[in-house]
Amino acid sequence: MPTEAAVSIQKLSKSYEESGRRHQIFTDLNLDVSRGEFIVLLGRSGSGKSTLLNLISGIDPPDAGSVIINGTDITALSEHGRTLFRRHHLGFIFQSYNLIPTLTVAENLLLPLELIRPLARADRDKVATLLDKLGLADRCETYPDRLSGGEQQRVAIARALVHDPDLILADEPTGNLDLETGSQVLALLDTLVKKAGKTLVMATHSREVIGQADRIVSIRDQSLVPVDERCP
Amino acid sequence: MSAVLNRASRNFLWRHPWQLVLALLGIALGVAVVVAIELAMESALASFDQTRKAFSGAATHRIVAGDGGLDEKLYTRLRVEQGIQQLSPIVSGYVRRANDSFRLIGIDPLVEKSFQSAWQKQYSDVGFLARLIAEPGTALVSEQTAARLHLKVGDEIMVEAGNGERRLKVIALLSPSHAISEQALSGLIITDIATAQEVLGLYGRLSSIDALIDKDASDTLARIRRILPANVLLLSADDQSQAMREMTRAFSINLKALGLLSLLVGLFLIYNTMTFLVVQRRRLIGSLRALGVTRRQVFQLIINEAFWLAIAGTAIGIALGIMLAQGLLHLISGTINAVYFRLDAASLMITPVQLGKGILLGLGATLLAVLPPALEATRLPPMTVLIRSQLESGVRRLIKVAGMAGGLFIAIGLALALWSGKSISLGLVGIFLLLFGFALLTPVFTLMVMKLVERVFGRISGVLGRLPARMVSAEISRTGIAIAALMMAVAATIGMDLMIGSFRHTVQEWLQGALRADLYVALPAEKTPASASEAHRLKAKLAAHADVQMLSSLLAVNLIANDALTRVSVYELNPQARRGFVFKQAAGTVWDRFEREQTIIATEPYAYHHDVKVGQTIMMRTEKGQQPFEVIAVEADYSDQGHLVMSRRNYGRYWPDLGYSGIGIYAKPGVDLKRLEDQLGQWLKPPQSIQSNRAIYKASMGLFEQTFTITENLRWLSAIIAFVGVFSALMALQFERTRQLGVLRAIGVTPVQLTALIIGETGLMGLVAGLFAVPVGYVVAYVLIFVIYLRSFGWTMAFYSNAAVVYQGLALAFGAALLAGVLPALKMARTRPAEALRNE
Repeated sequence: MPTEAAVSIQKLSKSYEESGRRHQIFTDLNLDVSRGEFIVLLGRSGSGKSTLLNLISGIDPPDAGSVIINGTDITALSEHGRTLFRRHHLGFIFQSYNLIPTLTVAENLLLPLELIRPLARADRDKVATLLDKLGLADRCETYPDRLSGGEQQRVAIARALVHDPDLILADEPTGNLDLETGSQVLALLDTLVKKAGKTLVMATHSREVIGQADRIVSIRDQSLVPVDERCP
Repeated sequence: MSAVLNRASRNFLWRHPWQLVLALLGIALGVAVVVAIELAMESALASFDQTRKAFSGAATHRIVAGDGGLDEKLYTRLRVEQGIQQLSPIVSGYVRRANDSFRLIGIDPLVEKSFQSAWQKQYSDVGFLARLIAEPGTALVSEQTAARLHLKVGDEIMVEAGNGERRLKVIALLSPSHAISEQALSGLIITDIATAQEVLGLYGRLSSIDALIDKDASDTLARIRRILPANVLLLSADDQSQAMREMTRAFSINLKALGLLSLLVGLFLIYNTMTFLVVQRRRLIGSLRALGVTRRQVFQLIINEAFWLAIAGTAIGIALGIMLAQGLLHLISGTINAVYFRLDAASLMITPVQLGKGILLGLGATLLAVLPPALEATRLPPMTVLIRSQLESGVRRLIKVAGMAGGLFIAIGLALALWSGKSISLGLVGIFLLLFGFALLTPVFTLMVMKLVERVFGRISGVLGRLPARMVSAEISRTGIAIAALMMAVAATIGMDLMIGSFRHTVQEWLQGALRADLYVALPAEKTPASASEAHRLKAKLAAHADVQMLSSLLAVNLIANDALTRVSVYELNPQARRGFVFKQAAGTVWDRFEREQTIIATEPYAYHHDVKVGQTIMMRTEKGQQPFEVIAVEADYSDQGHLVMSRRNYGRYWPDLGYSGIGIYAKPGVDLKRLEDQLGQWLKPPQSIQSNRAIYKASMGLFEQTFTITENLRWLSAIIAFVGVFSALMALQFERTRQLGVLRAIGVTPVQLTALIIGETGLMGLVAGLFAVPVGYVVAYVLIFVIYLRSFGWTMAFYSNAAVVYQGLALAFGAALLAGVLPALKMARTRPAEALRNE
């Protein structure tokens, strides 16, 4: 069960400019995510789910407010500092997988490890084990464009987990997959993330995912509101 | 074609302005270089031709003799005895006023009206043409010349020729009616025949006689030929133009080839840009195809877009070309003046034909370059248009085919270069095929090198280290073209550098050997019997100087050899001067026969161009009839397009004494040369001059460097076009990869690492281009030296390898690629990851 706040979002605001007009996405957003908690983000298309994940990961800076992850206010960090923080503490899963097409499956997994430290034999063993667990042991030298969508997403999940981050951010990870493959990916997330006690924030529309979440929040009218989808 | 479809295409370009600019730049630069060369070269030649026409008026023929001119009695005989009325005698030569040189032309102002040139007709009724005869020592100049010299009617000008100083009174100013006359009259002083003869010292002589003869009047021609002395030639106007064009043909072809090289590199750039424009819109094309747009419509869409790009690019290219031509004209005129013949001020002449050629070239090249990507886009079914990997795997198959085709092109190119007789054009086609063949092999070579680099760097620097090489290989359809364009430009640079270096080395050695005397006295170029006695007196005085050990002399004249006006160097040589001659072919004891027998030496270019071998006979026209001269040797000479070498003794037997063009002074051992030069210099009257062999060597090498200025400039243009190609390719690649690079940033790759990745990739591209360009450059240099230059100029030279050229070539390729990568790298590093991830 969740014990303490892994992510604390305080008074977060974000807007963007288009054709000379400023669009406010959200204002004074607050959210606490406990360690090991699995939170689902709901919201209509364009409501700002992906933007919120980008702000939490530090790949997009907010207009105001702060994002504190495990006690570190990443909004106070420089661009370089945020990159290094992301490298060590975050895992990102995208809807369209976003594997590096010029690296093999194994190399895609080795890259986050290599960014942290020089690769060692143990790292290669770790990647091999992980791929074995994902049923992709025989595809480690394959390039991503030779894999099916489900296989690519499994590799993407493995890439997000391989360096043992504290927080996983997932942006519609089953959005591009059929129902059956989507279920397999969710099962995998359940095994590798939730049961491993990792904190997971996922933006999704999938009802199946909603059923597995510890908590559901929705972005409505530029604010976060709790949702209890399980209530009748 | 649907307006909406066109808008979709147009909007894409507006939203990617830098790609639009690069596409236009690719077309414009290629067209500009070709147009500039064509305009400048044609303008230089046309100005020579038109200046001649402006003076010869309607003349169809010209009667000329070797140096020393024609006896003026010939004119009387033709006119009075033969009754040929339409003749116009001309006396011409160069005179100096202060530091300026002017062409002095003596004409007959009373020549028949139908035969007058445009400017003469303009003034025929004014009366001052007749005053030229009535008042000796009078002259006409153009208003422009008068303005330049601050002269007005009634002023006197002092001019100096080989015959001392003379005073001429300006009796009228000519105002040219059109540009050609203006050009023809600029730098001219016009007098009547008698005044010109007096000023130039050509008493009783004419330089030439122009004739107007009907095409059908073959009997008139026969009558003229019958009474012409043996040492006189009758040339048609066409023959003269042809001869001038023939003389500069090799120079012209070589320049045009350089222009075409730029266009070839530009073609790759256009192909590259157009391919990118198609590939980047594969999603759009896929969507359009899925919506029911036919293959034909997609094809039309792309071709239509290319057409408008070509129109705009060509228009910019032509405007740029005209600007560039202004600069090139100066360089080309300089080279023609230095190497071929005297060319007075030339101005740029733009004709619709030349512009038409530029338009055809720009449109044709662009449409040709866009055909492959347009066909590629239309061949794919709607869904696969969306899949990038399928595109790349298709390209890999194509690369194998291109590699094989490349091998074939190289074989044909080599065969054509080596076994195409004396044809310069076929030799150049050979070089182009070689370059194109190697360019087609570039992607295969790139993939091999990348595999190697990946293995080596992968072990040392892990996954990130492998990425640059992987990125180059994975997008070989894009990187391959950019590398090929860069390789071609760098190979051409290495090839030309090696060729110029070898040539420079050969000329240096030749000059050092040939310049045997310590000091050289140069005498006026205009040779007249009157100036000869002064030259003899000077020579005798020099020989008598206490510090002078011995002399040698040269007289450069034009004589008629094998029915063509030919430059002949007439030498008085001492044993030391003889050692300066390097024979490529010789029969027996050359010098003994050279002095005692009726023999001649041919320079290497003369022997090559006229197919002359040792033992053959050359027929020389003399006042005593045709005389056979046996060729006893072929000597190395890099000073011109070929001449003959004769002993003074042989010359003296048949031709008039015209003095000397130069005297070589050999000082006694231990003499202070500087002091001697100063002392002897005081004996000379301008334009006579004295120079040390060192100064002549430096001046000659300066001239050598000057003749390669155009080559240098043009190949830099090719390099710039290639640079734009690499830059364009990299910018487009980074644009395509924005999302991928955004992912790298999201998983923790820092901007510095990202910059290093991109720079690493571009560096590798440059390295591959450089590595491949080195052997290709050597092949190009070999063909340039042993095929093109031999065929163009008749010069053989030794091949000198130069490691510095190789390093420079590598550095150029590497540097250009790195530089081209800086902006895309910075752009990507600055892009916020979230923004990059949103990009698709």
